[in-house]
Amino acid sequence: MGAPVSDPGGGLPAPGHGVYDDSQWASTGDLPPRSRGVIALLEENCTACMLCARECPDWCIYISSHKEPVPTEPSGAGRGRPRVRNALDRFAIDFSLCMYCGICVEVCPYDALFWAPDFSYAERDIAGLTHERAQLREWVGTVPPPPAIDPGTGGR
Amino acid sequence: MTPEALAAAARDRLPGARCESASGSVTLEVSPAGWRDALRCARDELDCDFFDWLTAVDEGERGFTVVVHVYSLAGRHHLLVRTQVSRSSPALASVTGIYRGADWHEREAHEMFGVVFDGHPNLAPLLLPEGFDGHPLRKDFVLAPRVDKEWPGGREPGEGEDRPARRRLRPPGIPEEWGPR
Ligand code: SF4
Ligand code: SF4
Repeated sequence: MGAPVSDPGGGLPAPGHGVYDDSQWASTGDLPPRSRGVIALLEENCTACMLCARECPDWCIYISSHKEPVPTEPSGAGRGRPRVRNALDRFAIDFSLCMYCGICVEVCPYDALFWAPDFSYAERDIAGLTHERAQLREWVGTVPPPPAIDPGTGGR
Repeated sequence: MTPEALAAAARDRLPGARCESASGSVTLEVSPAGWRDALRCARDELDCDFFDWLTAVDEGERGFTVVVHVYSLAGRHHLLVRTQVSRSSPALASVTGIYRGADWHEREAHEMFGVVFDGHPNLAPLLLPEGFDGHPLRKDFVLAPRVDKEWPGGREPGEGEDRPARRRLRPPGIPEEWGPR
């Protein structure tokens, strides 16, 4: 009461700010590393292979890419044969459709997709839930280190 | 009750049922004719007083499996009870008279899978709008929006907006007559 109403739409936080922040709700720090809050894209690892977009049951991963020549080394194997690689133009996940099944994270053969625990990215406009490449890259900073493997497993 | 004790008690009381106990969970498989008796036994004799959920699974030509999960609050044991009905006449006795909580679950399984629960007091749609045609959780149900939307996976690696039109693929799950337009 008494505070100036800067938002004619009602009491929601400004666009881009979560409805729940850590003071009102759980802290992401309390969540286990397996938490499925949001998906992060480490685009350095992504080869635009399209596997995640094809496996996504919700059709909510959008990728476009182009082929780029790779500078060939002046000598050595493969010399003279022009080589290309895929370069991303767009990578977006629509979290308004995503059902957090994790299939994309599981299927990525290049470890480019990761779960991060942050869940506080509610939006006023549903279009804001489509996170483009830059935003997906930013989530990488919040990916927790993987938990230690159970004793007696995984050793060689 | 331990899963082993629960399985033994279930075998004892329902000799016609197939009882499996694996990795700490007990599953009772009964014939559709024995469905109501099995659930009454679960409630009255196996102490599973808490109804958790009921749903169906589309098993293709084999019909539909109907599964119920019940729980004992005092004994803290879980029990799955399941049965199979045919695709041509998927009908089963309602268990709303035994577990009142089954009411909405049976309505949902009815609209989503087309399983008819005989003796249900009001088998009206629960979630779908009135006049909705079809049973959306059946595997042969075609998701119409998929015909309209371009499949994001239709692009090849290295392709962008300018991808050649010849590669307009028919997305998975869309019958041939439906698309692409
Ligand atoms: S979590 Fe599942 S629904 Fe979400 S983008 Fe990944 S594959 Fe698609
Ligand atoms: S599966 Fe991994 S590497 Fe392939 S396009 Fe998706 S994120 Fe990139």
